[in-house]
Amino acid sequence: MITAEALTKNYGTKRAVDGVSFTVQPGKVTGFLGPNGAGKSTTMRMVVGLDRPSFGNVTVNGRRYAEHAAPLREVGALLEAKSVHKSRSARTHLRALAATHSIPNTRVDEVIELTGLGAVASKKVGGFSLGMGQRLGIAVALLGDPQTLILDEPVNGLDPEGVLWVRNLARHQASQGKTVFISSHLMSEMALTADHLIVIGRGRIIADAPIEQIIGGSNVPTCRVKTDSAEDLMNALAAENVHLTRVDGQTIQVAGLDGRAIAARALDRRILLYELTPVKQSLEEAYMALTQDEVEYHSHLGNELAATTTGKQG
Amino acid sequence: MSTATMKRPRSAAPGAAGSGKLSFPGVLRGEFIKFFSLPSTMILILATVVVMVAFAALGAWLIGWSMGMAAESPEMAASMGDMGEVTAALPTSGLAFAQLIIGALAVMVMSSEFATGAARSTFVAVPTRQPVFWAKTLMIGIVSAVVATVSILLSFAVAKPIAGAYDLELVFSSEALQRAMWVGVLYVVMVSLIGMALGALLRNSAGGIVVLAALFFVLPLAMGGFSALADWLAKAMRFLPDQAGAALMQLQLAPGGLEQWQNGLVVAAWIVIPLVAAAVVLQRRDI
Repeated sequence: MITAEALTKNYGTKRAVDGVSFTVQPGKVTGFLGPNGAGKSTTMRMVVGLDRPSFGNVTVNGRRYAEHAAPLREVGALLEAKSVHKSRSARTHLRALAATHSIPNTRVDEVIELTGLGAVASKKVGGFSLGMGQRLGIAVALLGDPQTLILDEPVNGLDPEGVLWVRNLARHQASQGKTVFISSHLMSEMALTADHLIVIGRGRIIADAPIEQIIGGSNVPTCRVKTDSAEDLMNALAAENVHLTRVDGQTIQVAGLDGRAIAARALDRRILLYELTPVKQSLEEAYMALTQDEVEYHSHLGNELAATTTGKQG
Repeated sequence: MSTATMKRPRSAAPGAAGSGKLSFPGVLRGEFIKFFSLPSTMILILATVVVMVAFAALGAWLIGWSMGMAAESPEMAASMGDMGEVTAALPTSGLAFAQLIIGALAVMVMSSEFATGAARSTFVAVPTRQPVFWAKTLMIGIVSAVVATVSILLSFAVAKPIAGAYDLELVFSSEALQRAMWVGVLYVVMVSLIGMALGALLRNSAGGIVVLAALFFVLPLAMGGFSALADWLAKAMRFLPDQAGAALMQLQLAPGGLEQWQNGLVVAAWIVIPLVAAAVVLQRRDI
């Protein structure tokens, strides 16, 4: 369990994290979602004590991370791939870290095996691809068999098998009752992996809720309707609070009316509908809807999001 | 890397990761594993030993050669004075250069953590930070003391027969040699620890090495050059680490120099103050 209270971090005059409070519960995967520069990495660095909060505090299982007697058994963290000396081998890197907590070398071999690094464990990390660097970072995180996993953008640079593997790993760890906290700017990935979502934008928490609630969070019911009399139907449905979008000649997207109301009005006008599909909001759309409510982000967020979906972590 | 090699994460056997806690001996062991896993470590240590031995051999040969010249020219013999102390200094004659090599190694023990990002792994494993700093201090202290002792002993072993060939005697148990040797070891330890502190303060290998070289080479030269112009400059120079260290190695006090206990204090201050400053900064600054 990770508990942050009014956590704030200033870099010079820039406020990277602005008084965030949240709880990451054990037994589920909590996604930490936000565009580049939203404060995800800074928040995670503060959890493990690499950055000192300017204000507020954060605890892991009731204590500050540094106050635990065996920090690596408490929290396993992947913060940035290749947090390793380039001339050192993966195995030596793991052994040196294991030594600090008297973790046996058999466990080092175990995490190497677990992360599929067996073939390259004796090679210098400098030659590793981004994906192999990520696997090594995950191996480090798993080293102490910790109660809490913190993974910052773990699927960055991984091949599709690797992405699936990280997803399974996260779900498995959570099913064991562990706390799993994963950051990402990939909303599609979070939709598949996370049970709970904390959305951060410009250093502030925008949403903190179960994932179904965020996806279904918009109270505006939306349906996609197909008819041969599109114009008649649009006239029939037009009203305040109803938003109509002509998708193509036969298709209209209706926001603000549920399926029954649309069908009832079509029946009144004797308009034939041959398709009526409730549209479930995707996480992307939910995210847009959420962040658009935040007026001060309004003008910039579209651009940031466009950059995020193709860009890399920040 | 195929899916075949990706094991499904299963719950590890109970105690697979053991139950050990974070401990100072563990941190120290981790630092030694990291230190000796880098090829550059062994190269720099070897270079230190080679430079020391080469200087001693070359020095012995040069002294012998000039003795031969002096035998033929009485004026030169008169200007050379007592060769005893010069000969006794042979095993430590390479220190001026060897100190920079091992000092650079000490800088990099700290700075490479930050330059490569390894510091993130290191300080997540040891979030209290201080054990890492003092484990590195202890390790650098031990390694530089051992390397200095071994290279001085080797230098002695190589210089003795060369000097002997010119009828110069190098006596291991002589007071001058013993003093030069043990103070020489202390001196190397001081340089290394200053280097490590610089690495922690600057977090940059090149910067740390440049400042270290400036402190031990450029500053004494520059201050020495201008000391004729200002008396205070000559006085201030005595507090430079290399001046205090070199003075401490001599049996006789230089005129106008500090007392030996004062030189000892200067060396101690140059060890303690940078280390404490670096430890405080490491604790306060973000990684």
